[in-house]
Amino acid sequence: MAFMYKTCLLVLALVLLVAVPPFLGLGWQNAMVNVLIASLFALAFNLLIGQAGLLSFGHAAYFGIGAFATLHLMIAVEDGLPLPTPLLPLAGALAGLLIGIIAGYFATMRSGVYFALVTLAIAELFHSLAPHLQGLFGGEAGVSSMRMPWQGMTFGSILEVYYLTLGWALICGLGLWAYTRTPFGRLTLALRDNEQRVRFLGYNAHASKVIIFAISAMVSGVAGALQAISNETANYSLFATDVSAQVVLQTFVGGSTIFFGPIIGATLFTLFSFLISDLTRSWVFYQGLIFVLVMLYAPTGIGGVIQYHIRHWGQLNWARLAGPYAIAVLGGLLVAAGIVYLTETVAVLFGEEYAMRMRADEGALPSYELFGFIWDPAGIFTWIVPVVLLGGGGVTLYRARQRITIFWESMGRKGDAETNSSGAAQ
Amino acid sequence: MKHFTLAALTAVGALCASAVALHAEPLKIGIIESLSGSQTSTGRLYATAVKYGVDRINEAGGFNGEPVEVTEYDNAGGAPEAADKFRQAAADGVDIIFQGASSAIAGQLTEDVRKYNLRNPGKEVMFINLGGEAMELTGDKCQFYHFRFTTTAPMRVNALVNAMKEAGDLGDKVYSINQNYSWGQDMQAAVDAVADVGGYEVVDEVLHDVNKIQDFAPFVARIKAASPDTVFTGNWSNDLLLLMKAAGDSGLDVTFATAFLDQPGNIANAGDTAVGHYIANNYDNAAGADAFAETYKAATGHYPIFVEGHTAFAVGTLQSALGNLDFDGGEINVTEIALALEDTVYDTPVGPISVRKEDHQTIRPVVVSKVVKNPKYPTDDTDMGFETVKIVPGELAVYPVQDSCKMQRPDA
Repeated sequence: MAFMYKTCLLVLALVLLVAVPPFLGLGWQNAMVNVLIASLFALAFNLLIGQAGLLSFGHAAYFGIGAFATLHLMIAVEDGLPLPTPLLPLAGALAGLLIGIIAGYFATMRSGVYFALVTLAIAELFHSLAPHLQGLFGGEAGVSSMRMPWQGMTFGSILEVYYLTLGWALICGLGLWAYTRTPFGRLTLALRDNEQRVRFLGYNAHASKVIIFAISAMVSGVAGALQAISNETANYSLFATDVSAQVVLQTFVGGSTIFFGPIIGATLFTLFSFLISDLTRSWVFYQGLIFVLVMLYAPTGIGGVIQYHIRHWGQLNWARLAGPYAIAVLGGLLVAAGIVYLTETVAVLFGEEYAMRMRADEGALPSYELFGFIWDPAGIFTWIVPVVLLGGGGVTLYRARQRITIFWESMGRKGDAETNSSGAAQ
Repeated sequence: MKHFTLAALTAVGALCASAVALHAEPLKIGIIESLSGSQTSTGRLYATAVKYGVDRINEAGGFNGEPVEVTEYDNAGGAPEAADKFRQAAADGVDIIFQGASSAIAGQLTEDVRKYNLRNPGKEVMFINLGGEAMELTGDKCQFYHFRFTTTAPMRVNALVNAMKEAGDLGDKVYSINQNYSWGQDMQAAVDAVADVGGYEVVDEVLHDVNKIQDFAPFVARIKAASPDTVFTGNWSNDLLLLMKAAGDSGLDVTFATAFLDQPGNIANAGDTAVGHYIANNYDNAAGADAFAETYKAATGHYPIFVEGHTAFAVGTLQSALGNLDFDGGEINVTEIALALEDTVYDTPVGPISVRKEDHQTIRPVVVSKVVKNPKYPTDDTDMGFETVKIVPGELAVYPVQDSCKMQRPDA
């Protein structure tokens, strides 16, 4: 029954992913391409951290390698190599696999912090080497190519790129999922839980970890390839630490313990940057804040919270729970509004434009416009608003959280109720 | 979760699609600039100056019967993000894109524009490059829809050599220290190229990592050992500042010939060390008549600094070009705007600028200035600022069209 339900949900999601994009605007189609690429990258990354328990800080290396390999293949196709455009990501897969085997061999000799540091060092190696290898990475201007038409498809529109990306993301995503069902997938989990035991059972732990690392690098390479196909250019900034950091954030916010968790995180962050980045200059701050809050109050990530509720669906008394949850959401929104208000006010008051007007006004504090209202920095009302929002929201949230905790405790699940009740309030 | 998201997406998409334009088609300008991240301060200046220029167009009645619209897109200082924002801008129907703070991003955008125009004939987009000075943008990558409204390394070096030689400040031994990427390499090549004309010998040259060096003392020691009269450097931001500081600390007695000494904060941080050093730039307030600087200050609250002057002139040139066009409220034809821009000569306070048709580099005067105490326009709230040494006219400063430029012109 549960399996049927899940399959139906998956099929529905697939139908929507295929049928909806033609009706979306170009901006949204492009955002969807980015969502798919980020999701696939996060899934590949999560094979390491979520399933094998290996935290990599340098996955940008394999993403970037995949992108450059694909661009070089694209240039060859432009020059007449008869390769169908949809098969281009194979170059990314192959390059990711090769580099993954080599880098993985060294990185997986150690685990824990040492593993993380080695992966970081490998990515940094690429980042500092790439600008000097003009022929391979194209220097500052990067490598650039064009998608060639194939079988009547020009690959000129974003929609065609979307379907190409969707195809590859689905194949690789389902492949990764199938992997978890194989005996080797089980071994991966065992390596995370108790490596010594795996060794005693007679498995070669190092070789297994190299294989896992290489598979993760291979799929990351495919994600990089898809980005190269969609952007048609890449420069060495792809190897930068923030590319590696982004995938870590996305995976943890989405939830690394469940398979589809990283997709949630990747979707959330990609859409967040698409929708918010042109509205406010502080969007990176908000993104960091979301990460911190999720890590503090829902360490299993958004996916973990959702999964917890699904697992206990039958026992949940929604008549009793819906009210407190709604109040918690309201409290959360109030607090969020207060934080946004303060952040934007600070951004205005300490911004360049305001400094200029202050200079023009001979040191007096000129009033400013924000959210469609005029505010006076010395006015009492300007500062009452955030106090009311934060105070009211905080109290509401605290109250609701208490009631939710009582409910979960009454169900006899004291331990993890803490994390989940507050997690739902995010 | 996922299908809910998609349903929401569909709803929003449908709403966007139903908003139909009822007026004549406005000219849409997109600024794809570094508005968050480490290059924000420079990106902000470009955006401010473009807006200033567009406000002038709109005060004069706009274009095509509508005010010109400006939208800012934040590329967060990265090329992939810029590619993303370009697609967003194209989806929003932007006609002209402005960008300046990075050659890497300019390289990305000019490629994006080229490909977009190949795939969408009749709906072309034009790219006005305000600050990407890498030579390949008008060389290998040159294309009809890219216009460069700034100088390049050879133009700055030519002007510096020309003016410093006349002022007797050049000497016959030159040292060249630059950042190890396309811009720094262009600078180094330019310094080597005019050695004969300038009558100097390049005693040593060095390329160093970009924005990674905290202490320039070893480099200054090397400079000292070579005992040059003048040090040429294309360094910007921290690399320039730290280099000058190290030079000041060690008591090195040379004249710096720079390209970005007027970046906000440089003079204030360098202090008295900065006095006597040279810079070649597109524009400086002290070089032109006061009218432009005062109008700019009236509109934005400050005198134009760093890149703001030449950015405003780029929009001014566009304004003159638009003045010769009339689409009668109908569709905007970007190709015609580009053709008109090629034929426009715009008078800036420091002299005329025009577009070279072969590679779309602007032929423009270069202002060579020197840091002095008590100037007409003090910088960074200090008692120092720039005094004009010479304005080198465009024809003298410009370099020949690069062989690698193969521009395809639209069939007309």
